Amino acid sequence: MAHDITLDEVRRMAQDIGLARLTEDHLQQLLRATRTARARRASLPTADLTPADEPAHVFHLDR
Amino acid sequence: MTDLAFLTVTEASELLRSRKLSPIEYAQALIARIEKHDGALNAFLRFTPDIALEDARRAEAEIMRGGWRGPLHGVPYGLKDIIDYAGLPTTAHSKILADNVAKSDAVVTQKLRAAGAVFMGKLSTHEFAIGGPCFDLPWPPARNPWNRDHFCGGSSSGSGAATAAGFVPFAIGTDTGGSIRNPATMCGVVGMKGTYGLVSRRGVLPLAFSLDHVGPLTRTVRDNARVLEAIAGYDALDPGSANVRTGGVTSQIGSDVRGLRIGVIRHFYTRDMEADPEMIAGIEAAVKVLADLGAEVRETDTAPLAQYAACNRTIMTSEAFAIHEAWMQSRPQDYGSLTRERIMTGAFVRAADYVNATRVRAKLASAFHAQFADIDVAVTASAMDPACRIDDAKAIEYTYGRQARAPFNVTGSPALAVPAGYSKAGLPLGMQLVGKPGSEALLYRVGHAYEQATGWVNKHPAFTKQE
Repeated sequence: MAHDITLDEVRRMAQDIGLARLTEDHLQQLLRATRTARARRASLPTADLTPADEPAHVFHLDR
Repeated sequence: MTDLAFLTVTEASELLRSRKLSPIEYAQALIARIEKHDGALNAFLRFTPDIALEDARRAEAEIMRGGWRGPLHGVPYGLKDIIDYAGLPTTAHSKILADNVAKSDAVVTQKLRAAGAVFMGKLSTHEFAIGGPCFDLPWPPARNPWNRDHFCGGSSSGSGAATAAGFVPFAIGTDTGGSIRNPATMCGVVGMKGTYGLVSRRGVLPLAFSLDHVGPLTRTVRDNARVLEAIAGYDALDPGSANVRTGGVTSQIGSDVRGLRIGVIRHFYTRDMEADPEMIAGIEAAVKVLADLGAEVRETDTAPLAQYAACNRTIMTSEAFAIHEAWMQSRPQDYGSLTRERIMTGAFVRAADYVNATRVRAKLASAFHAQFADIDVAVTASAMDPACRIDDAKAIEYTYGRQARAPFNVTGSPALAVPAGYSKAGLPLGMQLVGKPGSEALLYRVGHAYEQATGWVNKHPAFTKQE
């Protein structure tokens, strides 16, 4: 199980992608947002995917 | 004459065509109404009476010389302010784009201009169609005409408020996770998110390319179909555009629903989430009305809401962050707080998770479409709760994800939000009608039959009694 990401880790990751102007309040937001995104991952039913299941990169309905 | 503020598109169109109503008088009446009441509702972010009167004068001259263009000629409307109107700023309700003047019309704007509709202005939105309602933006948030202390839904917040308040008979919104249908439900109007690709997105600021839809909000189902008919159509320059014939979405209105197979997706609002009891009662009463009208009602199951929600949000926030990354690097302080946090959710989504979300999407969509072998139309909740107070940040956050709209952005299915009564507090309730791709005409048929049987359409916000 992945550990709960910390503020210091988020600060470092933010620097790595050029988010250099975030205030401490913004970083707290980024921490909450990142934890939300990671929790969401658990709800994706990826166990049912087979190698043949292709992505819908540009979703286009066949009708 | 009927109160001009609450003329339907259909009524107004007939009066305009037959020259019993002047487009100029109609526009002037709505301009006066907006000037009188919008200070309390903030539906308009940029009100443009001069343009409206110019459009109305042109419409009047054309109609008087026998050049009636069709059902929207001389009919006023507003655009959510992420949709381009040439020469005006498209701000997305954000400081970041405050000076972003559109060089050309969006395709939807072009189509409404060609139809002779009268442009009243740009309507409030949640910032970048994701963050709201917020009080830390250059413009205040729109409020609910049924009770201005309450949220009016979003992100097409001004579109819902302006339509419900009788400021315009129709408005255009956008929908990535429910943003047409949420304000429709919260404000007691009709909102259609059509089949993915039915309406061009070109000239509309994207939130998430693969989930974005453009569509109408109106006070009646018939009006909604008429507006959709005017704005739908293949656009070779929109990569997501559906290359299908789009005529005929009004063709089934007036037909009854006897024998239609209605599948109720009840687990969305009773098991996956427990909706507010009044909302459940409103939906169940609506289902009974459809059964009484002769539809064959049965229960139908699909994947749990949480799977659809995770899929929708993973894709949405990843695509949104890709769009916003440069601004997040250079101007993070210029976002509203809620917007910043919601967009940041996409900052560190792993590539594998995004790709897997799109793979899950294909499976969810395929399985959902297959269900329509056994049913014609699905019925389910739109929002789980009536509108909460706009100043209650905790309630806003709590209710934000309590919805059953995002599944149909994932599947690309047409979904129509229809009013379904009122709570004891006088706030609108609503439901969704959902179909297989391309079944808009059928959804309008069912929605219209329900609307005619219930009469919710004749109820308007109480503040109008002050006039």
